[in-house]
Amino acid sequence: MTHSTIPSAFLKNVLHNGVGRYVCQLQRITLSFCKSHGSSRGMRDFIENHLLEFTNANPGVVVYLKPRRHKAPRIVEAITVHNAQMDEICKWVEFMKTRSGEKILRLEKKWHTDNPSIQGIWDPTVNKSTSLNIAEFPSEEFSKFIETEQSTTEKLRELAKNIKNVKMRLSVL
Amino acid sequence: MATFRCFRTGMLVNSSILTCRNTISKQVVRNANKKPKWLSAYLKEQYNRRLAAGPEPERHPEKFGCWNYDCEIYAFGKRFGEEFNENLLKQAFMFSSYVENERARREDLDINLDTDNISIEDNEQLAIKGGEIAERYIKAFLRHSYPLLFEEGICAIQKYLMSDESLHYVASNLGFKDLIKTMEYPPEDDKYCTAFKAVVGALAESQSVQRAEVFVKDFVLPQLIGKDINEMWEVVNPMGLLNSLLTVLGRGAPEPRLLHQSASQTMMAVYHVGIYSDKELIGRSPGESVTIAEEMAAREALKHLMKTSDYRPPLPIGKQAENIKLDYEKKNISLEQLSQKLLQNSEQRITSGIS
Repeated sequence: MTHSTIPSAFLKNVLHNGVGRYVCQLQRITLSFCKSHGSSRGMRDFIENHLLEFTNANPGVVVYLKPRRHKAPRIVEAITVHNAQMDEICKWVEFMKTRSGEKILRLEKKWHTDNPSIQGIWDPTVNKSTSLNIAEFPSEEFSKFIETEQSTTEKLRELAKNIKNVKMRLSVL
Repeated sequence: MATFRCFRTGMLVNSSILTCRNTISKQVVRNANKKPKWLSAYLKEQYNRRLAAGPEPERHPEKFGCWNYDCEIYAFGKRFGEEFNENLLKQAFMFSSYVENERARREDLDINLDTDNISIEDNEQLAIKGGEIAERYIKAFLRHSYPLLFEEGICAIQKYLMSDESLHYVASNLGFKDLIKTMEYPPEDDKYCTAFKAVVGALAESQSVQRAEVFVKDFVLPQLIGKDINEMWEVVNPMGLLNSLLTVLGRGAPEPRLLHQSASQTMMAVYHVGIYSDKELIGRSPGESVTIAEEMAAREALKHLMKTSDYRPPLPIGKQAENIKLDYEKKNISLEQLSQKLLQNSEQRITSGIS
């Protein structure tokens, strides 16, 4: 698949989450595992050692445990954690908890704004003086060269002036 | 079974190919990997039946086995950091159709409805209460944020925020879908709206009206981010309104002037009109004809006077809004009051002219 055919999206957030208050987007999580099979060892360890800690820290998440005989352990039927260690399962659960709730897609840009331009869309009349409407051309006023920076000649002149002033002051002293 | 056997023979043949390639004839391999004749017809029939049956109806998670309504209700409150009275919260999600059905079911089971501990009442009263709290708070907040906007504009923004569409969006993203108790699933759009108001009402009864107002502020008001509030209130005659507003403010009448024009004889014609009052530019806008540009410039000038221009500061939502003290009684000036003031002014002028 080429880059352009992979579905993409702009960065967004459910309900401006965090503007008012942050709400964890994970509502419920189902852990299915086997009580005896070796492949569920990590899941069983997680349930024994970390599950209560997790539920105490996240009272907003409903956890369902689903013992299924001789089946591979899964998180929400989507993530297979076959033969996974306890730490790995901790990471997957944390991943689910910190999801934004939006689908995972390739991002067009890593930032997004609803107002791309603060000062509005540019058009040829932006910052154009209305006095141009009644001016007659060629006009001396509008033909002048507009200097944005001080020229070297001017800089030297100013320097010379300053030196003169200092000399004058010294002579007075 | 036939497929399985076929697959197995294929495996055997393949493995034997790897070990002693030269001894197996090509004929055997071809026959071994061949699919049975009936398989393609069978799969085709299955596919057509699936298409004819249509998509699966959306089912409640309860139907899949893992569901505990009490836990879900508990977690719902905790998710937002609010302490709900769980019975009130359950009531907030219950609709009359479900309640009637439940009552009939209990009667069938010969359960006495009067002595029954489990209350079943619908959310109508809670929704009315919550709706009133939300409306009062949103209006007061908007009046505080936009003190110069006309009362009609405030009402229009409030109506937008509390419209079925807007509240449906908020409620569906807050996980109301599976908790709402109606006879149909997924619930209809207006049910989300009622349930949201009822939850606000339940929060006010469980904790306090202030907490309910903070809930509204955190979840409803952010809907205004990135929206044009001036679009929500439709001004029919902007120039007339601008004229009367300037008269009441004691400023000169609005004077539209053509600032720039370009490509006037083409499809891409553009006119820039500026509106002056007392020789001061109060609004300017481009338009595809002079009349459109003039109207848009009048709207710009109104926005400027009501301090709702595009460059206005953002709404104080979140931590900034914690210390705001709202005056619920104060109202902004309405169009009616403006016209009354205008009448008074003209009467005064007439009487002073006669004397």
